[in-house]
Order: sequence, then structure tokens, then C-alpha cells
Amino acid sequence: MSGMATQIGVRAGSDGNAAPAGPNPLRAGLDTTRIAEPCNIVFFGATGDLTKRMLMPAMYNLRLADTLPVNFGIVGFSRSKLASEDFRSQMKAAVDQFSRSGPARDPLWTDFANRLSYVGGEFDDTEAFRRLRRQLEENDARLGTAGNRLFYLSTPPTVFAKIVQQLALAGLGPKDQERGWSRIVIEKPFGTNLESARALQAEVTKAFEERHVYRIDHYLGKEPVQDIMALRFANVIFEPIWNRRYIDCVQITAAETVGVEGRGGYYDGAGALRDMIQNHVLNLLALVAMESPVTPAADNIRDEKFKVLTALRPIGPDQVMKMTARGQYGPGLIDGKPVAGYRDEPSVDPDSITDTYASVKFFIDNWRWAGVPFYLRSGKRLARKMSEIAVIFNHIPHRIFGESGDAIETNTLVMKIQPEEGVSLRFNAKVPGQKMHIRAVTMDFNYGSGFGVVSPPAYERLIADAMRGDATLFTRWDAVEAAWQAVTPIVERWSASRTVDFPNYLAGSQGPQSADALLVADGREWRRI
Amino acid sequence: MTTKLDSPLDVAAILAQLQRTREQLNDRKSATARIATMNFVIFVDDPAHRSWVVERAARVTGKHPSRSIVLDSTGIGEGVELSTSVTSLECATVFNEHVVIGVAGLEHGTIVRLVHDLCVPGVPLFLWWSGARFLQSRTFSGLAEAATGVLLDSSGHASGEETIRELGDFPARFPHVVLRDLAFMRLAAWQDMIAQFFDDPALREDLFSIRSLHIDSGSDAEALYLAGWLGSRLSWEPAEGRTFIDRRGKRVPFTMEHKGGRRRILRVRLASDDSTYVAELSGDDCNAVCLHVEGAKAKPMFCMPLQNVDNALLVERAILTGSRDQIFETSLLAVRGLLR
Repeated sequence: MSGMATQIGVRAGSDGNAAPAGPNPLRAGLDTTRIAEPCNIVFFGATGDLTKRMLMPAMYNLRLADTLPVNFGIVGFSRSKLASEDFRSQMKAAVDQFSRSGPARDPLWTDFANRLSYVGGEFDDTEAFRRLRRQLEENDARLGTAGNRLFYLSTPPTVFAKIVQQLALAGLGPKDQERGWSRIVIEKPFGTNLESARALQAEVTKAFEERHVYRIDHYLGKEPVQDIMALRFANVIFEPIWNRRYIDCVQITAAETVGVEGRGGYYDGAGALRDMIQNHVLNLLALVAMESPVTPAADNIRDEKFKVLTALRPIGPDQVMKMTARGQYGPGLIDGKPVAGYRDEPSVDPDSITDTYASVKFFIDNWRWAGVPFYLRSGKRLARKMSEIAVIFNHIPHRIFGESGDAIETNTLVMKIQPEEGVSLRFNAKVPGQKMHIRAVTMDFNYGSGFGVVSPPAYERLIADAMRGDATLFTRWDAVEAAWQAVTPIVERWSASRTVDFPNYLAGSQGPQSADALLVADGREWRRI
Repeated sequence: MTTKLDSPLDVAAILAQLQRTREQLNDRKSATARIATMNFVIFVDDPAHRSWVVERAARVTGKHPSRSIVLDSTGIGEGVELSTSVTSLECATVFNEHVVIGVAGLEHGTIVRLVHDLCVPGVPLFLWWSGARFLQSRTFSGLAEAATGVLLDSSGHASGEETIRELGDFPARFPHVVLRDLAFMRLAAWQDMIAQFFDDPALREDLFSIRSLHIDSGSDAEALYLAGWLGSRLSWEPAEGRTFIDRRGKRVPFTMEHKGGRRRILRVRLASDDSTYVAELSGDDCNAVCLHVEGAKAKPMFCMPLQNVDNALLVERAILTGSRDQIFETSLLAVRGLLR
């Protein structure tokens, strides 16, 4: 079907311009993995690392799985001066190296490559955006992509606003569109603080309505993250005890062993709090703490997440030091090999006070969670790569079992997000023998062995969802704003206090001692990374 | 590791051999758990179909911690063949155990008892029935009674209208058993295509003024199911002479014609008062369907990949989805009404 010149009619999707009508009765009960409408996807930052490692392999694998429409086109846009042929070669090399299905194969690759084109230019170059428009119109005619466009911003956040402005100037926003739809996918972070996020949102809404904006947080596309809702709302045994009466605290961890990996320039202006806590980790908190949505529809879920984020107790400037800890790694060992400290990383200020580790204690002021601390932490160059949510239950009210010296551990439910994917529950059991010794044991569910299927990478799911117009796994503006409201006092206080003891943890360690102290002060301790 | 035993009736010997094999294969004596998530029972009675079924069943069970029991009624296999594969995980050892039993000469009660005794207790039993008859087989009834889910293919060894009529009685006979039919599951891509016509709100009203439905298909089951699905979604009542009555009381004749490859839909044509909606396999690419609208609401052609799903994946999907499929069941009811 390549090169098919069939003219495609306007088909309004969920965000089309047609008059409202009742739901399509033929959609009831159909598999949600339906194929998207014909469309073009434009990758801004097309020669960057994210496009090569994640986005283009994801597109190729979606094509391999027949999840893309027959009529689709991909346009790369970047500052580099490249011919389309060179762009195709670069993308083939990327797919060969990073695709989960192995190197690109013919005849599929030839057909896929035929749909790739490239436009070079600065992100504020009006003429380059006019060329982009012409390329999209040419694709509409050549590939039958029906005027439908998905713009994917995988650039540094500093140019998000410029791109949106130029899209509007070139008449590429949905408001200027005569046929088809336009959507925009924006990578995190959405702004660098509350003020800049609001400014960016103001720019975005000049060209795109909220329903056309897909703020991507790839954590939300991970299977175990989606399973949080299934665990909570598809089982009867957890929900009755999912509250302050039974839960002592919740610990959410997103630990990495990698350093800044060539992103020193960006990361030094961001830090762990803004790069991870404000988006990934607060999204996890919202999923764990929210009430049951009325339906699984995108806005019902997003309404509940928003309510949780707005219930986060504000951390005042005078409480920041008591409720948070920050760190920066020095040299150390990862997997037995020496690694440099943060300040020695390329493009990082040698006197940087950027946090590569952040931990925060939040309280949620509502009936369900009053008084239950949510401890969040994220850091680079830690002992192990590990993302998990640990729900730690209260101690038993009265002890009748156990020989002296036996510790009666608290029950802990752990939702493992990466690298392991699954759920484990720790409970106490009698040790075989004549005495009543008690010991903690663990019951494990692992996605790989439980279902015998490999979870597709989050980007495949999320790109396909954006093409289909399903916003369930994308973050709505109100939630982004609420998350910035929660962390901005911390950002400001940390920025104001420049006298820090950085570096304060060794690469390959559990993180700074100040983070341990945060929990010790409450009579608790972190789970081991 | 494969072992052969002569007698299919010596359950103790079969279980003992499986146990021995597990012990030999488990090189980590400290493994804390042995995982089995299902028993998968496969019945096959068509010699020509045997290797096809067994191979696809093995592909599914190879991925899932399970015990599979193939009941070979073709007369090809005799005795019992046991094999086990093993995967070591961090916290557990996963065994996939395969038991193939020649049951051609066995009486139905013996087969049902054998399956009962060989199943891993406490985990679901899925039955893939590839036999010629369903409800009239006492072996089928006995196994279905014990199953969590039953999977069959009304476009396979058992096919034709009689088969679907018989299937229509299944939900009443086995109200607690999840029924899946591969013939219906194959239609997912076509259902999506037809739904796509009416995602456009401007065309949606036409759904309620459909005047006729025609389907070209290589097999009856797929065509009937697609008609049943459409009818049930639009609250059409099946009537005499392959006709539906829509919500306004108007007749919607359904016609079908044998065309194209087996188990494949070739073309679907829906006519409303002033427009005709056509979805058909592309002449250029048999894995794409082209859609267009003729008449007052004419739309130019656009094409979508068909997403033909491999049968092994359909089988896997059927056993992973443990709940009843209301859409399938109401479609089946509509088909049953059509065939009255």
C-alpha cells in the first residue's frame, strides 16, 4: 500500500470539529487497541537521543505489529542540516541498534523508510516551519494522511514555547485547520517551576486547546504503573485497608544507577526534584492515593488524580529543611567500576549545587490519608536501579506469638515498577519446629512468569494512544500545575540556600545521610535500595 | 525431557514421572516456589488437524507456567507421552509440563476422570475443544463442567450453521463457564473497521437507518457472527428469513455469499437510506481493508491494516481473558435468532 495516493476524507475523531453526538454503539466492548486514523507524526528534536533510542524504534515496532494505520507519515524536524535520505539512514541505524525486535527488516523497512522525511531548521525559524507545512501537505497527498497531525516535542524544554509559537504562525495548529486534527505531545518537564509552567501553558493554549495537548510522562505507560489501579480497584481485599487506619506510611522510590549520561547541560538546570519528583513520582503518588474513579474514562481518572494533588499539604519555606533532603553524588563505584562524581560530568558546573538526589515527605490532607506520611525519593548513581511503591502497614495491635527476640515485621505490599515488574506482599509466618518462632516471608507475583508476556516499552503504548486520541495516560494541565504548586516552595528554598555540603553521597550508595535522618526522626527507615 | 508410558490409565505413574522429572530438572534445590497458573486441556479428533492444534497449544503453554494435557482422539497417538521444560527465575522455578494421552479407545467417563486426576489442583482449567461435535459429546460436557473456560472454533473441524446453533445453547447449559470462539475472535479487526465508519459523529445517525447488510465470506461462522454482532449492538431483533427488525420496526435483510478464503471476510456492505458503506479486502494487499462511503454521504477511500492475528495468539488471548464476553454472548444470541 506504500505510496498510495488515495484521497482521504475528513473523519472527525474524539477531538474533531463535528457536532457532538452520542457515543458510537459499535465501539462498546471493542478492544481499545484499535488502529489510529491516518496521520503524520512530526518529531521535533529528530536527531536527538530520545528519538533514536526510544521514539523511532517504537514507531517501527508499532508498524511491525500492524498498530499504525496504513496511511501514515513521519517527519523529522531538527536543527541539523540533513537530507531526507541521510535522516533515513540515521533512523535505520537507530532501529538496528535499539529496536526490541532486532534490526530493521525488509520489505517492512523499505516501506517504513518511504514514509520518513526530514525538515531542518531552527525552532524559531518561520521559514523552516513553512517548509514543514509544505512537507505535511505533500505527505497528505502522497501518503493519504488526511490532514491529521501529531506534533511530538522531544526537544529541550527551553524551546517548547518557540515551537508552539511557530506552529501557530505556520497555520499548523488545530484552530487554523480546515480538515483533520492536530495534537501536540510535550515531553516532561512542563516548565521549570510554577511560573514558567504557567507561561508555557499560556503559549500552548494560544494554539491548542487542552484536549489537543498530551503531556507525556513515560512512567505512566509502564505496565506495572497501570496495574496499580487494577490492584486497587479490581480486588476486594486491598481497598478496605487502604487508609490511615491500617497504613503506617508509603515509600515511593525511583532510583537509578546511571549518571547524567550526556545530559549534563539540561540536568544541571533541573535536578532530581524537578526532573523526577515533580512528574514521575508525584504521578505514582496520585495513583496510589486517589479515590476510585467512576469509570476508566480519561477524565474520570484524571479528576481523581487532580484531587489528590490538590490535597497535598503545602510545605512552607520554614518547613522545607524538616520535610526534605537533597544530595549530590561524588565519585564512587557502580557495579564494581569507578565512576566520576557529578561535578566532574561533562557540561556540569564544577561548583554545581544541583540536586542529583531528592527526598520529600508529603502529607495528604483528606479523610483517607490524614496523618500518613508519603516519603518520596529519587536519585542518580544509587546502589541499584529500582522503582517501587511500598505500602507499609501498621504494627499488630497486640503481640501474642513469637519467641523472645523474634521481630514481628510489619506487612508490606510492594508494587515493583522496574527493573522487576510485579507485586510482592510480606507477611509473618511460623518457622517450622516445636517453638512458635515467627519470621517474615514474601509472596511474589512477577509479570514475566505470571502472564508469560513481555510488556511493550511505555513509548509504544503512549505514542499509539496519542495517535488514537486516548489521553488516559497523559497528564492534564491542572495536575501539572498542582504538582508544581507542591514542589515550587522546595525549589525556591533550596535555590536560596546555597550553603550545602555537596557532594554528600558516594556513587553506588543508598543516598545521603540527611535522607535517612528524615525517616529516623519519625522512627522509620527507608527500604533498602 | 520426554518420557513415554504405556498405560494412559495409570495416573499414579504419570504423576510420579512428572514429579521425578521436576526433581531432575530443578538444579536449584532452594527454589522457593513452583509456579503453575493453569491447566490447559486440548481435545483433538481430526488426524489432519492434530499437528496444527498440538503445535499451537505448545506455543501457548510454552509461555505460561502450566500443565497441558492433550487428549488425542485421532487414533494416531497411543499411551502417554510426558515432557517438561523449565525456566529458572530469581525467586521461583517455572515448569511447563506437557502430557499427551491417546484416548481414542477410552470411554468418556474415563477421559473426564483422567483429566480430573491429572490437573494441578487449585488453578483454572481451560479446555480447547477441537472436536467435531460439542454439546452432543459427553466427553465435551464432562470436561466443560469442570472448566473455567472453553475455547472452540466454529470455523474449524466443527463448522457450519448446525455448529453455531449448538453453541447457542452453551451459555444456558454451562452458565458459569467462560465460552470463547476463535471464529468470533478473528473478527476483532473487522469490527473495528466497521465501527470506524461511524466514529465520525456526522455519519453516526446512519447507524439507525441501515436498510440492508451483505457480507461476502469464505466461511459461514465469521459472516454470521459479524451480522450477529452488528445486530446486537444496534438492538436489532432477529426475525424469520435471515432478517433483522430494527428499533423503528423496519426490516433489515441480511444476505451472505461464499467468497474468498476460508475463515476470512472479504467484503461488508451496509446500506442506509441514502448512503452505502463498503469495507473490503484491498486488491493490492490482502492484509489491508479499504473503506469508502457511496451516496449522499460519500467519502473517499481509506485503508487500514487488517491486523490478522495468529491463532496461537488468539488462543493465548482467550485464556488470559478470564471473564465472560458479553459482546460475544449477545452476538451469539442474535445469530441463534437468525438461524431459527
